[in-house]
Amino acid sequence: MSTRAIHQFVPVVEPGAVASHTRVARDLIRAAGYASEIFTAEVHPACRDWGARPYRDYGRAVPAHPDDVLVYQMAIGSVVADFLLGRRERLVVNHHNLTPLRYFDGWEPVAAGGVVWGRHQLRALAGRARLGIAVSAYNERDLADAGFRTTTVAPFLVDPRALTHAPDPDLLARLRAAKEHGGADWLFVGRIAPNKAQHDLIKALAVARRHDPAARLHLVGGGADGRYGQALRRYADALGLAGAVSLPGGVDAAGLAAHYECADVFVSASEHEGFCVPLVEAMAHDLPVVAHAAAAVPETLGDAGLLVDPKDPFTLATAVRRVLTDPRVRTHLVARGRARREQLALERTGPVFLDALRTVVVP
Amino acid sequence: MSDETVDIARVRAEIAAEVRARRAAGEYPASLERELDELFARFAPKEVSESLGDALERSEEAAAIAPEIPVASNNPLFGLVKRVLARLLGWYHVFVAQQVTAATVAVNHVLRRLVDKVTRLERATGDAARARESLARVVPTRDDASWEDAVTAALRGVTGRVLVGECGDGRLLAALSAAGLDAYGVEPRPELAETALAQGLEVRLDDVPGHLGTVAPGDLAGIVLRGCVERMPAGELVALADLAAAALAPGGRVVVASTAPPAWGRERTEVEADLAAGRPLHAATWQHLLAERGFPNCAVTTIGGRPLEPVAAGAPDADVLNANLARISDVLFGPDAYVLVATRDR
Repeated sequence: MSTRAIHQFVPVVEPGAVASHTRVARDLIRAAGYASEIFTAEVHPACRDWGARPYRDYGRAVPAHPDDVLVYQMAIGSVVADFLLGRRERLVVNHHNLTPLRYFDGWEPVAAGGVVWGRHQLRALAGRARLGIAVSAYNERDLADAGFRTTTVAPFLVDPRALTHAPDPDLLARLRAAKEHGGADWLFVGRIAPNKAQHDLIKALAVARRHDPAARLHLVGGGADGRYGQALRRYADALGLAGAVSLPGGVDAAGLAAHYECADVFVSASEHEGFCVPLVEAMAHDLPVVAHAAAAVPETLGDAGLLVDPKDPFTLATAVRRVLTDPRVRTHLVARGRARREQLALERTGPVFLDALRTVVVP
Repeated sequence: MSDETVDIARVRAEIAAEVRARRAAGEYPASLERELDELFARFAPKEVSESLGDALERSEEAAAIAPEIPVASNNPLFGLVKRVLARLLGWYHVFVAQQVTAATVAVNHVLRRLVDKVTRLERATGDAARARESLARVVPTRDDASWEDAVTAALRGVTGRVLVGECGDGRLLAALSAAGLDAYGVEPRPELAETALAQGLEVRLDDVPGHLGTVAPGDLAGIVLRGCVERMPAGELVALADLAAAALAPGGRVVVASTAPPAWGRERTEVEADLAAGRPLHAATWQHLLAERGFPNCAVTTIGGRPLEPVAAGAPDADVLNANLARISDVLFGPDAYVLVATRDR
């Protein structure tokens, strides 16, 4: 018998990079002629129409076959991994990275537990999986460290729908109105978390406002009400930047498009990224990128951004100012961004992902 | 203008130069960076920076597992189900909670004993952290001028980034930059770093092992180790050798500029020597450590020293006397310092 189904398992289906990648992967797998479902332990209300099923449906409501390929989208510890460890089908782990524990210390003790669990599970999965697929070469090292014998890199599958969404008109109008008072709009998109180091962006903004007193920083991403998000708000307040730093939380695709539309520069001080999808989103919106050269960020950006190292507030602020005031640099970064976005387009990354899966299917 | 005319590497270098110039002009003072860091630290949870004792207390508070089963629910039916389950499984839940609590209390007991033991040890031997703090306020007395030429010669022809750790007030770093090397420094003492920054040098406020830990493997063409190599305990120096070996590209050079052990604590280094957790290594020890890590070629230049005059060759027992004089010279008037250069395998 040959493989007829390639199913995916993911800890949670929610708005965000991993679930989006999983959905795009499902569409690709189906288009390649295999049956494919998404199985999960939890579905966010906003994703109910994605067609994800409870993971225990596999082998019951959805029949299991020994030649099935099961792809686990690994991002955190989950009962779904334990379920897969008990299965006998061909297993592939698609690794999205586990944030190092040091970033959670004192900030998010509950999330730290999930990461510890995830690390244990990754090592256990290494002994069972036929293949580890990493979304970046940076992540591939993680797989090798965990004991995976066969690994490959297939870049993140960026959903083209997320790159072309129409902006929310109300939000767009509000952001444009603020722009009329002058000042550049800095944007960073990502979960509000210590490893993303949004506090370093606030520091850089404080320095930059010496030259651009009306500059604003938009920190878009979920988790804004956690301990770290609260600290960011109080920090901005203490620096007299409460009106200049906004933390709107997680926004929908239209809201995100409005933020990209109105931003002048995308700035990242993040210290740990397994891929960093917002970099690709910024390129798709012709936004120049200034980013701290850390983890997988240089790999994802290629030559399409202005990398800074070290990321002290002075260097970050100076780099941003250079991009905002030097049209040649800005034009160059936008042009390189378009080229890099093409390299990471689904037409190119999709076949790489499918080719990786084909190495484990029964022909 | 055409897109092809923009060289991003050059733009990065221009940005770094602008930051250095603004730092040197006092527009970007290191004190502002510190103030921004300290202000954010005020809003971080206390667990981020709490003491060992406080962490232990928090751990002890968290050790007790509540035996009550939560039964509240917005849905009356689920509430009823939870109460029934609590009634049926309560005995088992209490049994498990007691065991988990007993285990965590036992672990905390061991931790408490360990903390007490460490505290007693620190009291007996001196608090290393306090000694380090005190040492950080001592202005280094070694003179970079003495090994400036030897270090510059050792790195001649190196292309790529060269790290000077620690760079102190920047004298050696300035000399290397003037010699055309792409050098930057790392210095953990803010006052010294600020002095170096004020000269327009590229300096990062960090300790050397901490910085090397962030450098990508093979990213550096040269590493100069000075200052810290005279104060770190042996274990940390071995770890430093590991970090340096990892950070250097094939063919890269490590230069260790150190006071010689017999000269350590003599004359101007007394206070540093007394407060330091460690002592400088002999050049032969560095040679051994680096040879183990893929640096087979090693050269040592000694600096200073006042050897005793040998007796004339024709004098009675001249050979014996001169051999003894040479030994006495080594012990009492040997070299003040050495510069060791090791080249990594290609």
